Amino acid sequence: MSSLTAAISASASALNVERTRIEVAVSNIANAESTRGPDGQPYRRRDVILGSDEISSFDSALGHASATGVKVNAVVQDQTPFRRRYEPSHPDADASGFVSLPNIDTPQEMVDMLGAARAYQANLAAIGMIRELVSKALELGR
Amino acid sequence: MNEISDSAVIAALRRQMTVAVARQVAAAGNLANVDTPGFKAREVTFDETLARQAGTPAATRPGHIGTSAANSGINMREVDSPARRDGNTVQLDRELLTMGKAAGDFAAAQTALAAKFRLVRYAINEGR
Amino acid sequence: MSAGILGTTISGASSATLGKAAKAAGMPAASGGGEAFADSLGKLLEGVEGSQVDANAAITNMVENNGEVHDAMIAIQRAEMSLELTVQIRNKLVQAYQDIMRMPI
Repeated sequence: MSSLTAAISASASALNVERTRIEVAVSNIANAESTRGPDGQPYRRRDVILGSDEISSFDSALGHASATGVKVNAVVQDQTPFRRRYEPSHPDADASGFVSLPNIDTPQEMVDMLGAARAYQANLAAIGMIRELVSKALELGR
Repeated sequence: MNEISDSAVIAALRRQMTVAVARQVAAAGNLANVDTPGFKAREVTFDETLARQAGTPAATRPGHIGTSAANSGINMREVDSPARRDGNTVQLDRELLTMGKAAGDFAAAQTALAAKFRLVRYAINEGR
Repeated sequence: MSAGILGTTISGASSATLGKAAKAAGMPAASGGGEAFADSLGKLLEGVEGSQVDANAAITNMVENNGEVHDAMIAIQRAEMSLELTVQIRNKLVQAYQDIMRMPI
């Protein structure tokens, strides 16, 4: 594939990744107060681990031949400790009256989500620009 | 007095397009990795004198799969940019700007090249 | 029929234009005066074939390898220009020949 095609693949890979990040942020926000999940434990924050992903590194001698995309390496559960709040009347309060709450900072999740949305937009715009470039190149024919 | 030959002009315009493409690809890669921890943004450097010395890249001869980066004057290097907390140095707006500029350069070269071809063919066909 | 007569029949101005056009198409241009037209024509035909090969290679490169679209398009344009150039020159030679044949003996 030409380097421009590889670049479109790179941008497209980012669309998938950022969409996943948004979905995870939404899930985190929705469960910010879930003190008891199916396993009896409070909801644990999900985190998306990203890694770069070389697309078509056909000829590494040509510095610009391949493009660098991105992929989700894993979606892990954040192991930071649960928040604790003193609320003895809560059905899930422990013996000392504390409730364990999900380790989620809702404002931070919102920021992450907005960042992912912005990155999504930017990569979408990139795809448009590259496709126009290819069209222009083909116009050299007439 | 230097006479800039037609084929030198065509070669120069072609180089401009190739560099613009390289910049687009690098910027697209950076944009895709704007959230990848530890990712260092990259940019294209172009040495015009090196490229001119190398002459027209013989990318079209069979068996020669394009010029090596070394003699085409096109190289990549890491951008000297402050890193965020996760080690990422990509700046979204900067990359979008780079893409916009590269797209413009490409379009300009393409327009000039297309016009050049039309002109030469007009000369060949003597207006017919 | 000497090459000299053919040479003067094809107008000087248009052969200079064709020479420049040949350079732009990437073909070896015939030098102005001294060469016989047979040699020039031979070179031009080689040039045409060369540019066709280049164009095919560029297209293959684009499809199979990492070739760029604009490189292939430029190669195709050059091949087309070479071809058109050769056709024009052939036309001019034919015209010159006909003009000579029409000359009263």
